[in-house]
Amino acid sequence: MDKDKDLLQQVKEIVSQCDRCGTCLPVCPLFGVKDIEASSARGKNNLARAMVEGGFAPDAKMLEKMNFCLLCRTCIDNCPSKVKTDEATIALRQYIADRTGGPGVKYRALGGMLKKTGLVKLSAGALGVTKKLGLGGLVPFGMAPSTLGREQYLARFAGPAALAGPSPASPAAVGADTKVAYFHGCGMRMMFPDAVAETLTILGTVTAVRQVDNVCCGLPHLAHGMRDDFLALAKENIRLFADADVIVSDCASCAGTLKHIGAYLADDPEWRDAAKAFSAKIMSLSEYLVKAGYRPRQRAGAKLTFHEPCHLGRGQGIKKEPRQLLKEAGDYVEMPGADTCCGGAGSFHIDYPEAAAAVLDKKQANIEKSGADIVVSECPVCLVQLNKAAEKSGGRFKVMHISQVL
Amino acid sequence: MITEAIKSKLRAVVGDENVLDTNLDRFGYSYDSSFIPLLPANNPDIVVRPLTTDEVSKVMVIANAHAIPVTARGAASGRTGGSIPVRGGMSLALDRMTRIIEFDERNMMVTVEPGVRTIDLYNHCAAKGLFYPPDPASWKFSTMGGNVAENAGGMRAVKYGVTNNYVMGLEVVLADGRVINTGGKAIKNVTGYNLTQLFTGSEGTLGIITKMTLRLISMPKARNTLQLMFPSLDDACATIHAMLQAGIVPAAAELMDKMSLQAVARHRKLDIDQAIEACVVIEIDGEDTAALDKQAEAIEKIARSLRVAEVRIAADAKEAEDIWAIRRGLSSAVGAMAPTRLGEDISVPRDAFPEVVRRIKKISETHGIPIAVYGHAGDGNLHPSVLCDLAKPGEEERVHKAVDEIFAVALEVGGTLSGEHGIGMTKRKYIASALGEDGVEVLKAIKLALDPKGILNPDKVW
Repeated sequence: MDKDKDLLQQVKEIVSQCDRCGTCLPVCPLFGVKDIEASSARGKNNLARAMVEGGFAPDAKMLEKMNFCLLCRTCIDNCPSKVKTDEATIALRQYIADRTGGPGVKYRALGGMLKKTGLVKLSAGALGVTKKLGLGGLVPFGMAPSTLGREQYLARFAGPAALAGPSPASPAAVGADTKVAYFHGCGMRMMFPDAVAETLTILGTVTAVRQVDNVCCGLPHLAHGMRDDFLALAKENIRLFADADVIVSDCASCAGTLKHIGAYLADDPEWRDAAKAFSAKIMSLSEYLVKAGYRPRQRAGAKLTFHEPCHLGRGQGIKKEPRQLLKEAGDYVEMPGADTCCGGAGSFHIDYPEAAAAVLDKKQANIEKSGADIVVSECPVCLVQLNKAAEKSGGRFKVMHISQVL
Repeated sequence: MITEAIKSKLRAVVGDENVLDTNLDRFGYSYDSSFIPLLPANNPDIVVRPLTTDEVSKVMVIANAHAIPVTARGAASGRTGGSIPVRGGMSLALDRMTRIIEFDERNMMVTVEPGVRTIDLYNHCAAKGLFYPPDPASWKFSTMGGNVAENAGGMRAVKYGVTNNYVMGLEVVLADGRVINTGGKAIKNVTGYNLTQLFTGSEGTLGIITKMTLRLISMPKARNTLQLMFPSLDDACATIHAMLQAGIVPAAAELMDKMSLQAVARHRKLDIDQAIEACVVIEIDGEDTAALDKQAEAIEKIARSLRVAEVRIAADAKEAEDIWAIRRGLSSAVGAMAPTRLGEDISVPRDAFPEVVRRIKKISETHGIPIAVYGHAGDGNLHPSVLCDLAKPGEEERVHKAVDEIFAVALEVGGTLSGEHGIGMTKRKYIASALGEDGVEVLKAIKLALDPKGILNPDKVW
């Protein structure tokens, strides 16, 4: 009951800051494809406020409205009052889930699967499980042929530097005795094992990277009304990484979530300090590489562009770093709207395929406009979406994780 | 109540997907950016989203036949409840009508539909070297239909005027569905009553504006921004006053009092000297940088003679943008200072500005309610923000007294209730004191002639 009150209070404090001015409407990617008020941040914030004030019941219909959000934070970036719509939306999903007997079969199944490291690690097994659960869209079966491996990439776009072989390991600016650990994201592990291998190779040139048998970052649980699971996973990860000085993730959503664990456990006297310390250690891959003074192994003759994951740019403020690295790795070109959400957004693209596809169409047009050979990103869900766009574009561009081109 | 039969007729006109009637979807069309409480919700019974004038006309025929209240809506960014369907009925959302129909470069005019956003119109014209000056603070998201219906102002009014100075002609769907055209591209036009100006600012009570032809001017070639900090609010006001009298007409002259300034400082994590009582942001424009330098020099001289503490002249576009960001973030920063902010919009003769600001400060002290004051000092339009917590016992009464007194002051010095937000719902009760009973009767007679069933945006303005 207290927990319910806390959630409602949290929602109330956030949404009552909304001045209803309307700044968020034209910038919301979802409003851009479904332009009714309820799609926008203003629409959701005021539905939430009316619900908190007793105007609406916290029922399945309200939950559906709250689920129709990419959590991309574009509204917050533009909002003059910086109303944290994503936090309010997440808290409200939790509140409604608690009241209506859980987050629903699908999210529970997904959450349950991601809680079990074993299942995630046995990626083939996990793929089978997801398929059985009707979550096939999350895992891109048949996507592999359209992705481009690092070897093929080098063969196709080898520039002069690439021919000269990999550059020597960079001296890490992050101290020599910094204990660096890698955080295995579920999405990366299940869907992009080649990119994970490249990440580990790159990290290996800078430092003696530790591998930890970590559990899920908990974002899918947090976002869909399974906050207890999220907190349990967070504590487990804090424990597992106690030894590390720096924890690197090549998934923007994992890094973004882990950086927020300190805030989510700030009221827990037992975990507060450890959580804060843990979050301070988290770095996204490109953030770490720039700090460590890493130089790409080659400069290829490929025209590269960057799709900035919401949870990297707006979520963590990491905007310059990936671009700086890519400028050294190839012929970098900035596409229009590089920081606009691709429509992936965790499981959003499975729940709302039409809206997600419409958002992605705009992204695809911008990638094509840039004339890039390769669109690079740093988040597995973005990569899934972008691969769909690449396929639809008839091979006009390919998609790679940043670790594969550096 | 709107019956299923009527709903099907409306669906047949605009298409199923452009009619919203679920409880949660309708709620999204029940509010605007005014301080009117969300609950009890002013839900429309139905939301209808037409795409063409023809669809609007057919919708109005149906509404008129069944006496269904119709409230037009653009982006719902208004500040006085103009687009709130206070009697239910239909929210007529015009935000799908986003065509720029004609750009007439030779006559320097543009014709647009009501759903075009102000910023998109501005950019469209600017790309061709022409200038649409009205710039309400909401210009990035507000729509032209709303701008014309509310006769929106903005920061450039001091030099360039407000929306109605640019409206040349309108296409209007009347309450019964007939379509008329008013005005046109002829600059001189005294054929019949000036209906164009009657519909402009009519707040959706006389007809539905479906097209507007707007006059453009040539784009100023050079612009710059100045920021003046004063230890005295009176000196700040006097500077603007003296400037205008000396023949220096800035493109904008915005004033913020100390409370507003400190709110922005907190919001944007700036450090602003507590000794500063007022800040004036001035935009100047002209032929070239030499012309700008001359203006800046003259302004600085006047400001120095009135004890300015700091003069900052933007060195480049980036610095100009930084200065303007302070002004643009103001409304939200001030709004965040208290649970409720009643943002008013009085407008007074220019020379009364310092007097009014002084008297508002006194009202604030008398009632013990913080009132932040900022506004378009160059044109006499002020936005006193009454900051309150209506949950406190006795607060509501104090606030209402303070607001009543603010309006009384505005009228006393020869000013009026609203400069640019309109009357809508929030200022209805004061209108007779501004216009007189007979004045209001004339408004009602016009309304009755154009909308005999009273279906267009009922319970607004008076």
